[in-house]
Amino acid sequence: MTVAPARSLGPTESAALAELLLTLADDEFILGFWDSEWTGIAPILEEDVAMSSISQDEIGHARAWYELLAQLTADDADRIAFGRAPDEYRHAALLNHARGDWAHTVARRLLYETADAVRLESLTGSSYAPVAELAAKMRREETYHLLHWNAWLRQLTAAGGEARDRLVAALALRWSDAQSIFAPLAGEGILRAGGILPEAMAALQKRWHERLGQWLSAAGLSLPGPATDPPQPSTAGRTGRTPDFAWLHSEFTLVARSEEGATW
Amino acid sequence: MSDSPSPVDPRAEAFYAHVGSGGKVEADHWMPDDYRAAILKFVEMHANSELMGVLPEREWILRAPTLQRKLSLTSKVQDEAGHAQLLYRVAEDLGKSREQMLQDLLAGKTKFHNVFHYPTRSWGDVGIIAWLVDAAAIVSQQALRDCSYAPYARTMKKICWEESVHIMHGRDVVLTLMNGTERQRALVQDALDRWWGPLMQMHGPPTDPARDRDLIWRIKSKGNEQLRQEFLSIYVPRITELGLRIPDPGLRYDEAAERWIYTEPDWDELRWVVSGHGPMSQQRLEFRRLHRAETQWVRDAVLGPVGAAA
Amino acid sequence: MADHGLPLDRVWEVFRQEAQGDPMVHGGSVRAPDAELATHYAREFFGRRQESERLWVIPRDAILELDDPDLLKPPFDRSFKRPGGYVLKHKLEAARGRAGTPPARGSDEGVE
Repeated sequence: MTVAPARSLGPTESAALAELLLTLADDEFILGFWDSEWTGIAPILEEDVAMSSISQDEIGHARAWYELLAQLTADDADRIAFGRAPDEYRHAALLNHARGDWAHTVARRLLYETADAVRLESLTGSSYAPVAELAAKMRREETYHLLHWNAWLRQLTAAGGEARDRLVAALALRWSDAQSIFAPLAGEGILRAGGILPEAMAALQKRWHERLGQWLSAAGLSLPGPATDPPQPSTAGRTGRTPDFAWLHSEFTLVARSEEGATW
Repeated sequence: MSDSPSPVDPRAEAFYAHVGSGGKVEADHWMPDDYRAAILKFVEMHANSELMGVLPEREWILRAPTLQRKLSLTSKVQDEAGHAQLLYRVAEDLGKSREQMLQDLLAGKTKFHNVFHYPTRSWGDVGIIAWLVDAAAIVSQQALRDCSYAPYARTMKKICWEESVHIMHGRDVVLTLMNGTERQRALVQDALDRWWGPLMQMHGPPTDPARDRDLIWRIKSKGNEQLRQEFLSIYVPRITELGLRIPDPGLRYDEAAERWIYTEPDWDELRWVVSGHGPMSQQRLEFRRLHRAETQWVRDAVLGPVGAAA
Repeated sequence: MADHGLPLDRVWEVFRQEAQGDPMVHGGSVRAPDAELATHYAREFFGRRQESERLWVIPRDAILELDDPDLLKPPFDRSFKRPGGYVLKHKLEAARGRAGTPPARGSDEGVE
């Protein structure tokens, strides 16, 4: 995978970019892991295959971000992905939770995919060419994800009854943690100044509320929680951890750490 | 086929002559009940096996040690779920509903292949299963591309093409381990030691071609023993060339007889395992029952009443 | 929620194009609750490996089938509709013999 030549960055800009890339990669990586659990046990066989493809897409996107980060920090993508302690991961709090039932999975996807779409759209305007290019490439794959989760939003809400109730409850449950996708970054000021991050996280969060609100209202639902202006800061952010994540971390590092320095 | 005299049905006679001479049958053709029942049973067991076959490897999806392995393994297991869909579709068009087939599987009324009743213990198993179990399956599936029942034959062509990728993935995992550390090589040998027995049983005991209806009606085109011999001819050299030891001291190629000699597999074990008494049989069926129950509300919501499903 | 009053769960046939310019060929079928998911599932089963240029997704009950041998393989001679129905070799040899000429290049192609 060739990436556009990048302008050279000073150390503070580089460190800020590394933090951004880690958040992008970890979000996709952890979500891809949770949802890959549906492989073989999804509600409908045909959907099993679709869900697995979407999870594989996330892992592929994570890999691309990890590889870019590895180039930037002279590291190795697999080492970054598999070699950190739980509190070194920077995924959004929304992704701290196990996949749950199908309604929880659909709800989390609705929240995440719409947010990620806003984020990627903005990043296509990044002054750092590799980021802009990767974001544009990912958007092409994400189109399918958006169509797919919108289809499930319609299916579950139109079915009414238990299906709709479960979805509404799951959206409400995860609304607060979903805000953490736009948790302010440590080096956000530096990234904004250099144009690597074209817009502030708070601005993206606001746009996300509008877009998600449109989707949900088309399906007869309202936003799961308050959309204040400016949006409420996320408390859990990207550093809070849960027992669910601790379990996931122990699973995905099981084989990787069983033999130090081995090739798998 | 039947020992007792029965009135000769000219339509059935013509049908059996047609399939016996290589003729093909489509889903909406008239079929004798015997043939329909035989092909349905065959396809249903195959579909069940793909569905249950997801479970041994599924555990390792979360544990895959690199990004590339995660993608390959998830993709492989996804393919198995996809194959289950393809095969259940064929069976549905023969007249049995998917819901009924899943119910029968989970109630223990229908079977799935022996290899999916055993546990996986390490990343070594992941390599050995994807390489050798899929290879043994492909040997059968290639022969089934000539099945008299055309929808199944066509599905076999698609499945064979897709399975060839799995064998590459499996072999890649095995080779990487064999080129790695002592412990990694030991993982592979240990997995081979445990999987060799089930692999040798996988194609089933030799059958009498004169009495095997699946052969006579050209549902199958090759006998079980022939398939096993093919598997051994291709894969024994590929296993031993890596420095692995096959755990059957009686295994050797007889040049004069032009066949592999091996320790007779335990056919009682095969029967026992396939009838639901394997080390993981009940646990895996229970796992499926649990997840099926947990997601029933989704099917009820989006597919309508269960009875209406095709 | 049903489309046009039809059952919620239908069978959809999928046709695929292997390479640009190729004909659409039947690939198989999927079940789906609606047309949108049917296209997603068609993409999964016949396109997730980037193996297809294009897909057609059609409800099975929209397909009209013809398999009556009286229509497709009727008994009377129709060889005049196919190249093999014209046997010219002996006539061509006779004409060349009468004219005393060698065979023109390519002239024997397709001649039986």
